[in-house]
Amino acid sequence: MHRIEVDAEYDVLSLNKRLAKENREFLSKHGVVAINVMGAIGSGKTLLIEKTIDALKNEVKIGAILGDVIAKEDYERVAKHGVKAEPLNTGKECHLDAHLVHHVIEKFGDVDLLFIENVGNLICPVDFDLGENYRVVMVSVTEGDDVIAKHPEIFRLADVIIINKVSLADAVEADVDKMVEDARKLNPKAKIIRMDLKKGIGFEEWLEWLRCALRSRGE
Amino acid sequence: MHELSYAQALLDEVLKLAEENEAKRVTKIRLRIGELLLINPEQLKFCFKAISSGTIAENAEIEIEFIKPEIVCTECGRRFDEVRGLCDCGGIVAVSGGKEFLLMSVEMEVE
Repeated sequence: MHRIEVDAEYDVLSLNKRLAKENREFLSKHGVVAINVMGAIGSGKTLLIEKTIDALKNEVKIGAILGDVIAKEDYERVAKHGVKAEPLNTGKECHLDAHLVHHVIEKFGDVDLLFIENVGNLICPVDFDLGENYRVVMVSVTEGDDVIAKHPEIFRLADVIIINKVSLADAVEADVDKMVEDARKLNPKAKIIRMDLKKGIGFEEWLEWLRCALRSRGE
Repeated sequence: MHELSYAQALLDEVLKLAEENEAKRVTKIRLRIGELLLINPEQLKFCFKAISSGTIAENAEIEIEFIKPEIVCTECGRRFDEVRGLCDCGGIVAVSGGKEFLLMSVEMEVE
């Protein structure tokens, strides 16, 4: 018996990267713009998707993949709005990965806009590319105004950063300007939106960004 | 606990290499991991230990070398140790690398 050392040079992330590439190629071939909706638990991700469907469903064909540990609740909420939706249970996992999305993506070749709602969490989903065109990260003032500074990686890689529930900022003593500044310093290229979904604040700005993304077809 | 999915992908590859080399036991696994990858090394080791139990990679030592990202201002060229998007000069800071997860080599016992 003797010991040998075998060179590997193997990329442990290669499987996810390959499947993400396949997802991206599928989306591109069918002209679908896919948005990975990420963010904290209870920040308003599902409501954002519901309200966006209501606002845009006469303009574009929308689909939604709802990921969660148990995805049934979000799926039922979104399906009521009359679009094609698929629940994606992650079971024990705290994030979606390209493999899970790969199982259902072929059902969405006929939509223009596909929302993929990730598991509510600002850490685990970050390093798993799903093949999306854009990343939207949503947080709310009630999570504390240091939430952006504490999770730099997810905000650094976002295309849109939404700070929701701004109407509650005074009640929870959150400084929205600080949150915006933290986001801008980490990611000066991202679109930053101050929002209060239930009051309609910032929603038009979001729709405007989305229409622009749809026009450019994710390019 | 996303370390579990990383540990599983790692174990699959380690066992594949061990089998190809007709190893009796895997003793050491050398990894290079980017500092910006959101992975907790202790949790990775813990997950690996749990899922490798009963395989020939059980009790293998995991050795990790970390890879630093390049964080450089695109205007003035200043380098930073911590992630940021804006330089004091107002330039955009570009971040590259630091997201790697590489299995470099596997040490094993063979006949």
